[in-house]
Parts: sequence; structure tokens; C-alpha cells
Amino acid sequence: MRRTLVITALGALAAATLWGAALAQQPIKIGVQAPITGQYANEGQGIEKGVELIAKQINAQGGLLGRQIQVQTCDDAGEASQAAICARQLVNAGVLAVIGTYTSGAALAAEPIYARANVIQTSDGTSDKLTQSGYKTFFRNAPPNSAEAKFTAQFLVKGKDYQRVAVLSDHSSFAQGLSQAVIKEVKAAGGNIVFTGFINAGSQDYTAVLTKIKSLNPDVLYFSGYYPDGGLIRAQMEQLHMNAAFVGGDANQNVAFAKIAGSAAQGAIIINVPSPENLPYPAAKQFLSDYKTAYGQDPPSIYTFTNADGFRAVIAAIKATNSTDPAKLMDWMHHMTNFQGLTGTFSWNASGERIGSPFTAFEIQADGSYKIIYPASAGQ
Amino acid sequence: MDVVLQQFVNGVTVGGFYALIALGYTMVYGVLKLINFAHGDLCILAAFIGLSVLTTGIGGANAGALMVALAFVVAAVAVGIAGTVLELTAYRPLRKAHRLSAVVSALGASMLIENGIMLVWGPQVKVFPSNLLPHISWSFAGASISFVQVLIIGGSLLLMAGLYYYVHHTRFGTAIRAAAIDQDAARLMGINVNRVITSVFIVGPALGAVGGLFVGLYYREAYFNMGWIYGLNAFIAAIIGGIGNIPGAMVGGLLLGLFNAFAAGYVSSTWQEAITFALLIAILLVRPTGILGERVAEKI
Repeated sequence: MRRTLVITALGALAAATLWGAALAQQPIKIGVQAPITGQYANEGQGIEKGVELIAKQINAQGGLLGRQIQVQTCDDAGEASQAAICARQLVNAGVLAVIGTYTSGAALAAEPIYARANVIQTSDGTSDKLTQSGYKTFFRNAPPNSAEAKFTAQFLVKGKDYQRVAVLSDHSSFAQGLSQAVIKEVKAAGGNIVFTGFINAGSQDYTAVLTKIKSLNPDVLYFSGYYPDGGLIRAQMEQLHMNAAFVGGDANQNVAFAKIAGSAAQGAIIINVPSPENLPYPAAKQFLSDYKTAYGQDPPSIYTFTNADGFRAVIAAIKATNSTDPAKLMDWMHHMTNFQGLTGTFSWNASGERIGSPFTAFEIQADGSYKIIYPASAGQ
Repeated sequence: MDVVLQQFVNGVTVGGFYALIALGYTMVYGVLKLINFAHGDLCILAAFIGLSVLTTGIGGANAGALMVALAFVVAAVAVGIAGTVLELTAYRPLRKAHRLSAVVSALGASMLIENGIMLVWGPQVKVFPSNLLPHISWSFAGASISFVQVLIIGGSLLLMAGLYYYVHHTRFGTAIRAAAIDQDAARLMGINVNRVITSVFIVGPALGAVGGLFVGLYYREAYFNMGWIYGLNAFIAAIIGGIGNIPGAMVGGLLLGLFNAFAAGYVSSTWQEAITFALLIAILLVRPTGILGERVAEKI
């Protein structure tokens, strides 16, 4: 009886060793969960192409730990129901980590499935909920909704030293939420809010409220709404000879902003994550040109880059720990500092929130182009 | 003081648009007792037609003022024709029907024009070139006024004065007023009432077209569905002034613009519209027929 046990144990050990040796030859499986079809197909395909490009480059250099990377994609169509199916498929396929997806809803639905299977998940999606469930497997690679307001306050109060801040919003839930968050953060950063008000989007004439704001003599007017109104506000500020600077939220970034503002566009500042061609980092420029060469098209948005950053961090973790043990990798990723991403330097806190936002403040130049003015390191 | 003056300038500029557009509502109402809800969209149609003329590129880069004049003429003529077609197809067949049928027809025409603009020019915001008119602005007593604003205020006053003269001091104007009082009696006097109605549907939209193109030139942006908001404001202006009354539309437009500016400037930008409309309700409670509603016996 004892002999049998020993033999069995020996046999199992031998099998495990052999299995381990075989494992070393097997590829490292990386999943991509993205909306390849549907409303966000463009974004999803960008994520898949970005990940495949990086995998191809690593494989061409001999792979990771002597093993090739194998990418497996599952189309979640941007929907929660499909996302749950995808998550199970990828877990069953034995992936080590999953890159994507694009929508918060789909990422949220997949989150607990990856967590139970101990599969690393790195996704964009702006919902603050994504990092509130306490899953150790989740790493957000894009900034959450709250990051823009924090960055804006930092820029206004610390970056520019504006003493008197006027805040204008429209009545949309997006712009109201952003303006309220900015007001809170500016106050927290020690700034002085001298005016808070609303415009009716599309009513075109904002001279009355701007005249009121002018009489309060602010250093800066922050507008959280959309570009058709933002461009007009900027033009009407010039018409009223207002000296205050103009800073607009991310919905002001559109080529039409400068066209509507006309001669007043120059000097207006907009805060947003930069579009791919405006990413100032050399690695990002390299990735952009590689992407164009490989696919003959531009990546759809910055989210191709943030997801690529998630993948690059996983690769860095595998290299640094010399292991494919998810526990070790996650521990490394939670503790890495100043990771040089394509979208700026970042790290992850204990709940998987991205620390170090890719936001930049850029100023519109005379020719309508953008020049990054903050953070200073990104402008160089 | 400078703030008061600036708000006055702000209000009068916007009031000028409202007044020009309100004239079309009030003239049609005066003669037909019909609210032409498609009027605001006709005015914005003019902004798009004007934009197309201005961006054709004919006349070269330096023909700014001349091209602007041409754009006004083309837009006014085209919208005048559109107004006539609208009357012939959407309103004339319903002249003997219940009044509500014509109102529904007007709302339908409004949607037709709005969506037509979207299909032809696209759903995005359209931007006017910035080099059309000189970038001059004057400062006085701490307030500033730009060349475009002077053009709008001057142009609006001139057109309104012209219309007043046309209606009150010409033969055809007399015919319009006669048809407004009693169509049957006017017909018995040998007035061709159908011609009068057609002329009202040419003059009203043509004036509105100038207003619409002013809007485009001042803000330098136009989008397909903005006719609704301008139409609504102009309609309200016509009511405050006393609908059917031409000087009333002018007074109502300017008053609405000034209310808006002072409500936003002195009370709250958040409550701007609410305050404006509360004041309007107050005016109508005191004078249910509008400010100038009773000064003249006949409507128009």
C-alpha cells in the first residue's frame, strides 16, 4: 500500500517535471477582449491591432522568457452580456492576462470572472466603479472620470497660478458633473472660485453672462461644455475685450473650435488626453509609426495606446519577475513606480487605479495647431 | 455704468435678430390669423444659403463686402420664394379648413425644412469664414461694440422703418391692412386677397432671411436645428409686442433681448430664461394683448 503511494507520488512528480518542461515550450497566451463589431468596432479593432503589433515585435526578438506570445481575441461588441461570455472563453483558453476592453459596462461584467480565475485584466473605461470592487486582478490603463477635474485644478492653481477662477457650464449632465468636480478640486487646491454659472447650450449669445463675468475680473474662465459653445464663448470674450484666459474641458477639442473662435482661437487652452499624433513621448511616436506601417491606417484614438500600455506593463512584469505566476506579476504591477508608458508615466495603486494621468493642457497656436504647455515634462 | 451700457448693447443686438424674425410671424398672423411655425426654420435656411454663397469662392479673397451683399440678396430672394411655395403647398389648400389643421401643417413644414437643411448641409456645425467683415470695434464709456453689431442694429432698424413705411404709406400696404381687417370686404373693394397673402409670405420670410443671415455672420456658426430656438424667441417677441402689430414686433424683439441680457447679467445666468419668461407673463397679465396690441384698430 505504502509502495503504491510512493510510486504514485514519484510518477506524479515525474509527470509534473515533464509537464513543466513542456510548458516552457508552450506560448504565453494573452487575451484581448474588445468590441470588434458594433458601435465601438473602430476602437475595439484598434486595441486588438495594437496588442498584436506589440506581440509580433516581441516574438520577432525571440519572445518572452524564451516563449512566444500568442494573442487570442474575443469580440464583446461593447456589451455586458457578451463580455461575460468572452471572459469565460478566454479563461477556458488559459490566458495569463486580458487586454481591453473599451466600454466600462463590458469591463465591469467581465471583472469578477477574471478575478475568480486569477487572470490579470487591464482595461480602459472611465467609470469610477471599475476600481471600487477590490479585485486584485484589475488594472485600469486609462484615466477615470475624476482624473480630468484633478488635473484641471492642478493646472489652474499650481501650473498657471490663476488666483481668480470663473467656472461656466452648460446644463448637460456631463458638463455639470465636470464643472462641479473642477470647482471642488480647485477649492481643495487652494484656488478662489469667483463665479459659477450656466449657459443654455446652442443659444449662441453668451455676451450677457460674459459681461457679468468680466465685471468680476477673473484671471481665467473655465468652460466644461462642448466646442460649438466654447468657440463662441472664446470669440465673444474677445469681442468684449476680456483679459481672462480661456481654459476648456475635453469636449472643446474639435477642429471646429478654432474655426468658430476665429481670430480669438489663438491662446485658448484645452485640457484633454492628447490624440495619438500629439503624444510627445519618443516611444509613443515610434509605436504610432510602427502601427501606421503595419496597418496602413491611423490608430482610432488614444485608447489604442492606453491598452497597449496595459500590455506593455504586463510584459515588463513578466520580464522583471522572470515568471508567469499571476500572483507574482500582480504584486509587481501593484508596486511598480514610474512606469514609462506611451501615454506618460504611471503606476497603479492597490485597487488598480492608474496613478499619473495622461491629461495634458494644450494651447491653440496661430496656425490652429496644438502646443502642449502642461505638464512641463510632456511639452519637451 | 460701463456694465449697464455693455448689457444694453448685448441686448439690443440679440433683440435686433428677434425683431426681424418676429415681423414674419406678426405679418402672417395679422392677415391669416395663422402662426407660421416654419418661419424660424425659413430664417435659418437663409443663413445656410448665405453661407453657401459666401464659400463658393467666386469674387476672390478681397471681395468681402460685395460677397456679403450678394449673399444677403440671394438668401432673401431664395427664402422669399421658399415662403411663397410654403404658402401655396402647405397653407392655401387648408385655408377653409379648421385652424388647427393649418397649425399642424406649419409644424410639419418646420420639421421638413429643418431636416431638409440637415440632409443638404449635414448635421455638423457649419462655420462661416472669419475674414468677411472688418474686425473693428469701438469702445465708449467702458463698453465695446463691434462693426458687425453696428451693422446688425443699423440694418434691423432700417428694414423695420422700411417695412413700416411700406405698410402704412403705399397703395399695396393699404391693401394688406384692408385684408387684415376683413378679407371679404377687401375682396368686395376689388383687392386681390390672394396676392396680398402671397406678398406677406414673400416679405416676411425675406426680412427673416436677413435676420437669419445676420445671426450667421455675427456668431459665425450655424446648425440645422437652430431655427426652432430663434423661431420660438421671435414668436414670443411678437406676442409681447402684440401679435399682428408691426411696431409691436419691433418693440417686443428689442425688449426680449434686453430682458435676457439683464436677467443673465444682474440676477442669474442659471435662471436667465426663467426670469425672462416670468417677466413676460407679468406683461401679459397686465396687458393681455401685448404692449402695442390695442394702439391700432386693425392688426398689422
